[in-house]
Amino acid sequence: MGNNSGLSRRSVLSSLLAGGTATVLGVATADKSANALSNYTSESKVHANWSIPFDPAATRPHWYPRDLPTPGEVIHEYNMEVLLTPHEILPLVQFPAYAYNGIVPGPELRVTEGDWIKVNLLNKTHDFHTIHWHGLEVECEMDGVPFGTQYPVGYNQTFQYLFRAQPAGTHFYHCHQMTNLHVQAGLYGVIIVESPDDPVRKQFPYTRDYTLVLSEVDTNFVEEQINSMQLMGAQMDYMSRSPTMMAKMSGEMMGWFASKDAFMAAIKSGWIPPYVSSMAGKFRQIQPNFFMINGKSYPMTEHISIRSGELIRVRLVGAGMMPHFMHLHGHDFWHVCQDGAPLQNPVRLNTVPVFPGTTSDIIIEGTNPGNWHFHDHSDLCLTNNGASPGGMMTMLMYEDAAAAGFKFNEIITLNS
Amino acid sequence: MRKLQIKDTNILLAATALAAIASLPAVAQVQRTPIPEQPSLAPQIEIDGSGIATGEGRFPANPLPGGGKVSAARINFSDSSLVIGASQELYRNGGIGSLVLGVTTSDNSLNSSGTGLFLHQAYLDYSTKPFEAVLGRTDVPTQIVTFPTLRGDDLVEFTGVVNPFSIGDNVQEYRYSNQVALTFNKGLRYFLNVHAQHLIDSTGSGGDQTGINSYGITFTYQGVPVLANMERVPEWGFGVEEQEIAGSSGGADTALYGGVVYNIKTDPIDRFDVRFQDTYTTGNTLKAFTSVADSYRAAANSAAMSFRYLHSPFGRPAYQVALTLGLRTYQNVPNSSTFAIALTGIKRLGEGFDLVAQYTYQHHASTSAALFGGQDNNAVQIGFAYTFTDTFNRHIAPRRSLLSLQHQYIPE
Repeated sequence: MGNNSGLSRRSVLSSLLAGGTATVLGVATADKSANALSNYTSESKVHANWSIPFDPAATRPHWYPRDLPTPGEVIHEYNMEVLLTPHEILPLVQFPAYAYNGIVPGPELRVTEGDWIKVNLLNKTHDFHTIHWHGLEVECEMDGVPFGTQYPVGYNQTFQYLFRAQPAGTHFYHCHQMTNLHVQAGLYGVIIVESPDDPVRKQFPYTRDYTLVLSEVDTNFVEEQINSMQLMGAQMDYMSRSPTMMAKMSGEMMGWFASKDAFMAAIKSGWIPPYVSSMAGKFRQIQPNFFMINGKSYPMTEHISIRSGELIRVRLVGAGMMPHFMHLHGHDFWHVCQDGAPLQNPVRLNTVPVFPGTTSDIIIEGTNPGNWHFHDHSDLCLTNNGASPGGMMTMLMYEDAAAAGFKFNEIITLNS
Repeated sequence: MRKLQIKDTNILLAATALAAIASLPAVAQVQRTPIPEQPSLAPQIEIDGSGIATGEGRFPANPLPGGGKVSAARINFSDSSLVIGASQELYRNGGIGSLVLGVTTSDNSLNSSGTGLFLHQAYLDYSTKPFEAVLGRTDVPTQIVTFPTLRGDDLVEFTGVVNPFSIGDNVQEYRYSNQVALTFNKGLRYFLNVHAQHLIDSTGSGGDQTGINSYGITFTYQGVPVLANMERVPEWGFGVEEQEIAGSSGGADTALYGGVVYNIKTDPIDRFDVRFQDTYTTGNTLKAFTSVADSYRAAANSAAMSFRYLHSPFGRPAYQVALTLGLRTYQNVPNSSTFAIALTGIKRLGEGFDLVAQYTYQHHASTSAALFGGQDNNAVQIGFAYTFTDTFNRHIAPRRSLLSLQHQYIPE
């Protein structure tokens, strides 16, 4: 969950164009032995001079997105394989997941704003995939939209993404092929673009940095749909062995058409779209039954650590399809960034909404020793397959709680 | 081939069951489980139905085997069925427990209406990834190949191991049996089925009218279903069956059988396949027929072969044409052979709903002609067929899903 669990488990290659020092940055400047106060103090480390004036040009990219790297610029190179693998949400609960490098969420990438990112995507599943860089100002061909900006990446095929990391902030990436399925199935991860001029770090000198990716899954839907995709993929793989059979492949078989005219012509020739009642019957609703933080549901979520007086940064990422309302017990916190960009003024909250496709950065100050629940306040999402408690919940745990007099040990409850 | 998933059935049962449920008191008195204090889960419920109704003309109008008479023209809705199944996950290791109940309409001439109900599915199933156990009534495990005739009971004396204990009045007695079966698999593709059966004994020619009267082993290969039109040999199998026929009826019989499906043209749009099954029985000493039932237990060789063309534009079936041939000869009974052909056409009108037609011709040699109502029999049928399946409270993946076949996931 924290930065200390990020890059070490990932397949990361860093290189410098035309020589130089390989670099992968992470806010991982997190300093576990930093000046955390061991006792409560009324003095805050928060600086009071936050000032971000309105800048009409703020939405413009700092670098022209269609530029190419020039000698001397840093390029961080990552290998990403899409795998089909069982993912365990909880003990005895698995679902067949699509996973970047075999983990859900995928590897967390951290780079400095302005550096280049090269990602070598290799698809090892019998389905199609891409990577969409959500919130990043990439050139259009790198945006990862199948049939929109690129052809989807098939089994054993590769695609190389190359773009400059901008703008700074908390962003994420996900597969854009059949998004409602592939994101539920696990194809998402976080990319953090750091700036040396990060106003959050300047005004809130935090010492630890956590990333919480919020998502949900209908495990029955995912299993059923991935099976359907595997069926189609198996047929195509088999057909690809025979030029004669491949000649039979048509847009109608796949539901792919070069234009609206081609689509209409297919209908006139007898092809029936999959959405009409004679083909689909009644649409089966997607009903998420597990709600996750970083791919795990309570009680298997990792807790957040803090000490009295410490400032920590928590990056909340709405990677799924449902809004979540993250509430922290016993504390107010500062909402400092939205969708990667610093707010003009930090907003004091104790419940922050995280909508699908958005990111929200908050700063928590260690002001109230104890073990505190931090959870989605949409109560449906506090269940595991309908059983409560569970779901999208973690704990803010003070490392010096006992020294402050808090003696209650955390008890894991699975049946309230 | 025997499938785990529920199949076939009758709407009457569902209507009756629903009416019964609607009339239950608030606190229903239900059958207690062996551990009654344990509450049950809401299971996954699957309902499968198939209906087939045809207008049928026969010429000449002949008596049925075993008595009765088929009209020259009639409405035939036999082989329609409804099956209800309930399944749930067991505690660990991916085990699945299931109950299946179902009835099918039968072409039973003894029934005054011409069509009766037959309980063809009533079993409990325990399955894990490498193993499945079935106890109850279900499809006979000796059926290797499914032939593309309209009804599963068409040309049945050619397409599988017949029931030597049947009086011949109800062909469902060939297709279903009471059984205990253990099936071991490798990769959910190769299946070894070890079974003991009580084949329904309507003649009393078994040693024991309620006990085990048939047992054997069946080995089959089943390819990935979605590749059935692409793999050259998507299905094959063979087996041996020992049938304990009473000495007064010619004695025990041993059936050796095998079958294969071969794609002459592997093509996702235009599939052309041939199906073949041969059943050779030996050991029974009957040398003459005194009844239709004698023809089921006399040592014989049955062969069935079909040629089928399936057109599937856009990856979905549109129409099918098939020719099925059958030949049955008897080792010890002279001038008794019979052969048949069936020409079948099916046009898909909607998902699961088909316009169907079939012409069948069967010839009996002189010795058996009298038993079967003449040497030459013709039948023409045209009608509709509808099959559906629906699953409620879905939370168990199909056992032979591609995920299971390719990745060996335990159904969860």
